[in-house]
Amino acid sequence: MTALSTPLVPRTRRSPRNGRKWIFTIAVGLVALLVNVPLLNALLVSFKPTGEIAKNPLSLPTAPTFDHYANVLYASGYNFPQFFLNSTLIALGTVALVLLIAVPSTYAIIRLGFGGRWIINSASGLRLLPAIFFVVPFFVLFSAAGLQDTILGLIVANTFLNLPLAIILLASGLRDIPNEIEEAAAMDGASVYRTLLGIVLPMLAPTMVAVSVLVFIFTWNDYLFALVLSTSNSTPVTLGAANFVTSTGIRWGDISAASFLSTLPPLAFAVFAQRYLVSGLSAGAVKG
Amino acid sequence: MALTAGQRKKTAASVLLSLPLMAFALAFIVYPLLAGGLTAFQASTIFDQSGSFNGIQNFIALFRSDGFAKSAGFTVGFSAIVVTIEMVLGFGLALLLNRTFPGKKLFFTMILLPIMVAPALLGIMFRLLLNGDIGAVPALLHGMGLSVSLFSPSSVVPLLVVLDVLQWTPFTFLIIYAGLQSFPGELLEASAMDGAGPFRSLVHVIMPVLKPVLFAAFFLRTIDALRTFDVIYVLTAGGPGTSTTTLSIYIYKAAFESGDFGKAAAAALVVLVCLIPFVPFIVKRIASTGIEAQR
Repeated sequence: MTALSTPLVPRTRRSPRNGRKWIFTIAVGLVALLVNVPLLNALLVSFKPTGEIAKNPLSLPTAPTFDHYANVLYASGYNFPQFFLNSTLIALGTVALVLLIAVPSTYAIIRLGFGGRWIINSASGLRLLPAIFFVVPFFVLFSAAGLQDTILGLIVANTFLNLPLAIILLASGLRDIPNEIEEAAAMDGASVYRTLLGIVLPMLAPTMVAVSVLVFIFTWNDYLFALVLSTSNSTPVTLGAANFVTSTGIRWGDISAASFLSTLPPLAFAVFAQRYLVSGLSAGAVKG
Repeated sequence: MALTAGQRKKTAASVLLSLPLMAFALAFIVYPLLAGGLTAFQASTIFDQSGSFNGIQNFIALFRSDGFAKSAGFTVGFSAIVVTIEMVLGFGLALLLNRTFPGKKLFFTMILLPIMVAPALLGIMFRLLLNGDIGAVPALLHGMGLSVSLFSPSSVVPLLVVLDVLQWTPFTFLIIYAGLQSFPGELLEASAMDGAGPFRSLVHVIMPVLKPVLFAAFFLRTIDALRTFDVIYVLTAGGPGTSTTTLSIYIYKAAFESGDFGKAAAAALVVLVCLIPFVPFIVKRIASTGIEAQR
């Protein structure tokens, strides 16, 4: 992290005064606020009483209320808690299935010479192909296999979407681990499986955490496959958060509360697991 | 060649460990690829997929209707504009944050938040912000004496560009910023000693070294922009008319609104075939970025 403290563009030879530093604080602060305007606006609207939402769109809530959150969580007919549970199950299930498939196979590819470089390259290539291509065949396949509108079906679909990234990240994580320890273990007669479980997995743990965080977020955020492959039983929040349109009108307050609640899990990761996220996203992008 | 017992065990283990991946890939990657390709040449609908082969009928129908070409044009134009803006702004932002100043950690985290928000949910939030009755932006414009209908045919495309830039500049920023962190500081000191000003250092020292990272950010964003679906579908559903129909929205609608699986699969196949030639090139470009060499 030493690089953080050295300015990249050399400024004039004088050492920077404190006043100039604050200019950056203000400029970057404004950008940070600007990109979060939709989120902050939703948060504000969610605390406004229904009458106030249309009356003063620009003001802060004068009489903050938790009514919308109560509606979203407890009012009958909305099913929002069910959507939230569905999203959680789909995301956790996908993380588990992705790791279960990707960790052993990436180990076999990188360390045991299975297949070779082309599998990693195919993974990189697959990540670049448009997901929309797979929507129709998945719909047909899932209808035939009884996976349509099931949690398991969406776990499978999201595993498909996220496997390439997981394999790429795990492969680069594995290459970072020195091979000597595994070779020594093999000399001592440890089996491949014992080496993988006892030696490699603990060292690969940080990469696995990064993969888990990214896969969780991407799965939570999926919309296209949920739109096609779920109708009611497996509906996740990305689809369900807009369901607050009733015969009496659009319930903007409830929608804002639901959409804000729905972004909380990914946002929590963004704040508390930022280290993994930044390394995962940039490594996934920057390494191949 | 005779294998030793150890080698044979290793091979057996590698096959066993790869089995889950191979099984999954066969069922959910290879099979859908083939099935999708096949559907493109069949008279297949949402109700009946047992359709017979109809040669290139689907492709003829696809190119006869102007919807496909129009959505392809919109997608490419939209992507070119947003990616250009996001690259410039992301690069600028990365340079801006590449120093210490009070509040940097907090703002860095805040800038990354939009990447984590589901595009579909962000679409809903944009609706809250932009709605003519309750939105803050129309209220603000109204307060300034402007009466702009944000979703009218003339302003909807610029609007979508702004929204895309708001969400994805943080992504290009992150990639470029990560690249800057591995930048060899001596290079800059050397160029500063040679009397190069900030701008010359930027163009002649930073950009060449960062080129692989800039390429990676550019290609990843381009690929993502080309398949844009969520935000636009939630906000405009491709309208008004078909003015904001991206390729993904076109294919989705062909399949699940018109129910014509054959046509949708044909459109998807055309898109796939157009993209495939670029894939090896991009994979190579991304694989050869400087950050890997740093190890």
